Amino acid sequence: MNLHLRPILSALLRNRTGAVLVAMQVAIALAVLVNALYIVTQRIEKMGRPTGMDVENIFVVQSAGFTAHYDLKSSIQQDLAWLRSLPGVIAATPSNAIPLSGGGSSQGLTIVPGDRTRDNSFGYYELDEQGLDALGLHLVAGRNFRHEEIEPPITVDDAGRFVGNVILSRAAAKELFGDQNPLGKPVYDTLKHQATVIGIVDPAMNSWVDNEHSDWVFYMPRLTSSLYGGVRYIVRARPGERDAMIRLAEAHLSTSNPDRVIHFVRPMTYFKDLSYLSDRSMGIYLLTVTGLMIAVTCLGIFALATFNVATRTKQIGTRRAVGARRADVVQYFLVENGMITSAGILAGCALALATGYYLSLQYSLPRLNLYYLVGGVLVLWAVGQLAAWQPARRAAAVSPSVATRTV
Amino acid sequence: MLKMQDISKIYRTDLIETYALRQFSLEVSAGEFVAVTGPSGSGKTTFLNVAGLLEDFESGSYQLDGTDVRALSDDARSRLRNQRIGFIFQSFNLIPDLNVQDNVEVPLRYRGLAAADRRERIDSALELVGLASRARHMPAQLSGGQQQRVAIARAIAGDPAFLLADEPTGNLDSLMARQVMDLLEQINDMGTTILLVTHDPELARRAQRNVHLIDGQISDFRAYEPRAAASGGADAVGAALA
Amino acid sequence: MLGYYVRLALRSFSRNPGISALMVLAIALGIAVCVMTLTVFHAMSGNPIWWKSDRLYAVTMDNWDPNNAADKKHPELPPPLMTYKDARYVAASRVPMRKVIMYTVDATISGAGTAPLRTPTRATTGDFFAMFDAPFLYGGGWSAAAEDPPPPSIVLSRETNEKLFGGINSVGRVLRWNDQEFRVVGVLDDWFPRPRFYDLNGGSFSPPEDAYVPFAWGPALSLQSSGNTECWKPETINNEQDFLASDCVWIETWVELPDAATHERMQTVLDNYWAEQHRAGRFPRPRNNRLTDVGQWLRDMQVVDNDNRVLVGLAFAFLAVCLINTVGLLLAKFLNAAAITGVRRALGASRRQIFTQHLVEVAILAVLGAALGCLLAALGLAAVHHMYSAAHLGHRGGYQELTHFDTVGVAWAIVLAVVATLAAGLYPAWRVGRTPPAVYLKSQ
Repeated sequence: MNLHLRPILSALLRNRTGAVLVAMQVAIALAVLVNALYIVTQRIEKMGRPTGMDVENIFVVQSAGFTAHYDLKSSIQQDLAWLRSLPGVIAATPSNAIPLSGGGSSQGLTIVPGDRTRDNSFGYYELDEQGLDALGLHLVAGRNFRHEEIEPPITVDDAGRFVGNVILSRAAAKELFGDQNPLGKPVYDTLKHQATVIGIVDPAMNSWVDNEHSDWVFYMPRLTSSLYGGVRYIVRARPGERDAMIRLAEAHLSTSNPDRVIHFVRPMTYFKDLSYLSDRSMGIYLLTVTGLMIAVTCLGIFALATFNVATRTKQIGTRRAVGARRADVVQYFLVENGMITSAGILAGCALALATGYYLSLQYSLPRLNLYYLVGGVLVLWAVGQLAAWQPARRAAAVSPSVATRTV
Repeated sequence: MLKMQDISKIYRTDLIETYALRQFSLEVSAGEFVAVTGPSGSGKTTFLNVAGLLEDFESGSYQLDGTDVRALSDDARSRLRNQRIGFIFQSFNLIPDLNVQDNVEVPLRYRGLAAADRRERIDSALELVGLASRARHMPAQLSGGQQQRVAIARAIAGDPAFLLADEPTGNLDSLMARQVMDLLEQINDMGTTILLVTHDPELARRAQRNVHLIDGQISDFRAYEPRAAASGGADAVGAALA
Repeated sequence: MLGYYVRLALRSFSRNPGISALMVLAIALGIAVCVMTLTVFHAMSGNPIWWKSDRLYAVTMDNWDPNNAADKKHPELPPPLMTYKDARYVAASRVPMRKVIMYTVDATISGAGTAPLRTPTRATTGDFFAMFDAPFLYGGGWSAAAEDPPPPSIVLSRETNEKLFGGINSVGRVLRWNDQEFRVVGVLDDWFPRPRFYDLNGGSFSPPEDAYVPFAWGPALSLQSSGNTECWKPETINNEQDFLASDCVWIETWVELPDAATHERMQTVLDNYWAEQHRAGRFPRPRNNRLTDVGQWLRDMQVVDNDNRVLVGLAFAFLAVCLINTVGLLLAKFLNAAAITGVRRALGASRRQIFTQHLVEVAILAVLGAALGCLLAALGLAAVHHMYSAAHLGHRGGYQELTHFDTVGVAWAIVLAVVATLAAGLYPAWRVGRTPPAVYLKSQ
């Protein structure tokens, strides 16, 4: 290997503006690439978290009574009976809220009545005995609710009532009980009402995907009231039957009871997608712009290399005339490009770290992982060499006879 | 007309200094046809660049038409080049993507002349060099001699006081070279001062006066007899050695 | 001379069409990405009622838990909503020129000759329309004086009026709202303040509700808020009265204070009320009664999210790369033609003339880049709009409301194009003017 770094470097330094410009582009592209990839990976991880639920096969019906004749309990019974009679339906439950939807209720729980030292809040869902099955949740310990345990809806007159039994998510159990076995133990609501933990599900998620503790959930065996804007039915269809069931439910339920309106019948994926919409669009935008930025940088490298080759045709010819092989010429330009890219990468590393630090400070994003920096460096180096490859080949094609021509 | 006194011009690199002109003095009177000769590396081109206000010099004084150019700003030099000097180069230096009349128009544009005035000058300049019929040709469509004649038309279109010609026939065969030289003499006869830089003794002989450069200085060795003094050049002041 | 430079520039483009196209594309991409991001950012950070933004104040009082702030990330802020009790106190004050207390409920409208229609409704007080400059198509609001007992009056949005009455002037018509008889007193014209500054709880860019009824109908019919209700205090709530008396917050409260003196008096009213309640055992946290104008309110509520700030930064980094790229290409292109520039200099062009000539060339590139950039930005925004609309199943609201390419976008594009020209063109144009002409005149 005979690289002759010094003459290449001094040639570079004599005409440095173009090189500096390309190095600047490489530096910015590296800083953006590294941080963008890091953010995107985090979003992908966030979106890919296990929900514990059979999101793809679930749909949700929201119904609200609006006349004085409307009877909540009988309406729920009729609707559920009809939904459960459908052959394409595995299970259905009334619910006060839709997991992953961004809307719902939460409340604090303690294991010591009246303990106010921990400020925690758990998303909760009022379900019946088909609730876990309708959501597709996996019971990892204890048991499900029994039919006779399902309590009547709360009303304006007993809005503070709690339930006898609850099922916790494993994360909620861990927050409350640490490493103890929670089964059979009491938990208390903020009014010191007691309930017994009868089961643990894992994994699970509540309604708020952006919440730091989106896996803190508990489930109550209670028919939901319409105090907070209607009843939701969560229905799990057999694989492949969801959309057909949605059409059936829409057609039937909207006319089955004149005292209520059906607000919507929607797949659960709608709510999940909507909740992650900003993460998804952020990811798409970051990747698109970063991709474009790398493309533009490549273009810059390519243009500089082409310009350098074009202005040095004669010099290249002379080199060839005095015995340089084609490979030597290619190597010369690749090494030159490598030097420029490396200078940019060096500056880019500093810029990437500074940007990462700023983002972590300003927007409380986690600190940049260094693997991404290494990856980004490799990508840009490879991309830089690729962009210079074609002009270098063209340089190698310059005929040695150029040296002897005058014009 | 042109008066250079003790001019020095040095090219510097990191390592060495080269004197391209050394205590160089020359006076040229209006209407003269002076040939500057010398071997390659003797400073001919530097002299031309300095004379044409294309390059600065380190010391000495240079008066053009009684104006001390040393004190002039770049803008003023550009104006002076534009109005008083015409250039003719060995490789013609026509602008390849402008046609003949647009090439001739370039200096007139920079002078800010009105369209009609430009038109008239372009026509008469092309008429003079015998290329009026080629006004819309592109340079690449012309022979070398024709290209050089376009360049001459461009140089004289602005009615400069003097022409600087740098090896104007270097890239031409002898027939075309003779035509170009005839044209230059014709222009000189019309009163334009001409400075011809060349290494060719044949050409130099056609000038009224020869200045021979060696190592950036004027040598008093005269290799050739200049042609007989033409009208207006009779009482030209000779070159003085510093 | 300008015309001459333009002609020279066009010649120059046809000499190197490829590199010229690349430069236009680079500028266009940079501008497009910036315009897209800035359009969304601008819409997001807009103040939709700027003309009276400094007269309108959100009222908040910190009634929260002595141990925990309402928002742990911003412990200095009171909860954004008020309790029923405190809101009613503000509503009873004679100090503000106008005042509004309100919340949203889910309702159903029937009896208008159409199928029952789900109608998200704002239960609000009579000053709402005048205070927030909501435009009426037909009729008007209800008198603020006549709210106790509340008149069965309803104001419909234009869209709801279309659905229920086919868009006719329905003032005077009677319909059933949550199975109660209500009379239509007004129909609003199209109105969509973005962000929906007066209620940022259900998403900052949600459309206004479909109907408006007098505030008191909400509690009177025991209608719970369909927005946020937050409670911190362990209280036994066994009936509507318990709930209304609780420390739960769920009501948005706004006052209009026309001058500094009124502002000061209003602050005193709040502080005195706070002191009195504090003595009676409420308000366990330090005194923190706030009157927040619209601009500050939008900042406090963090309408512009962090993702968007990051994207604006990214867009400018991208523009920078595009411009640096263009500088490089221009430099290469100009210096490639340095011999011709040398001839021009020899023929008498001054540095300024050479500089101007090249700057004109860059300006033309920038104009083309800006035009193409506008086009790309419009396409990009349409694509983003489509993506959001698809996710919303075609409903209004959310980020899709921010993706309209409008005069603001075009203005950004023009500003950026000028910046781009100056940034990308100045150095190469200056540099080529500085090149010593003599170097390029000799052929050997």
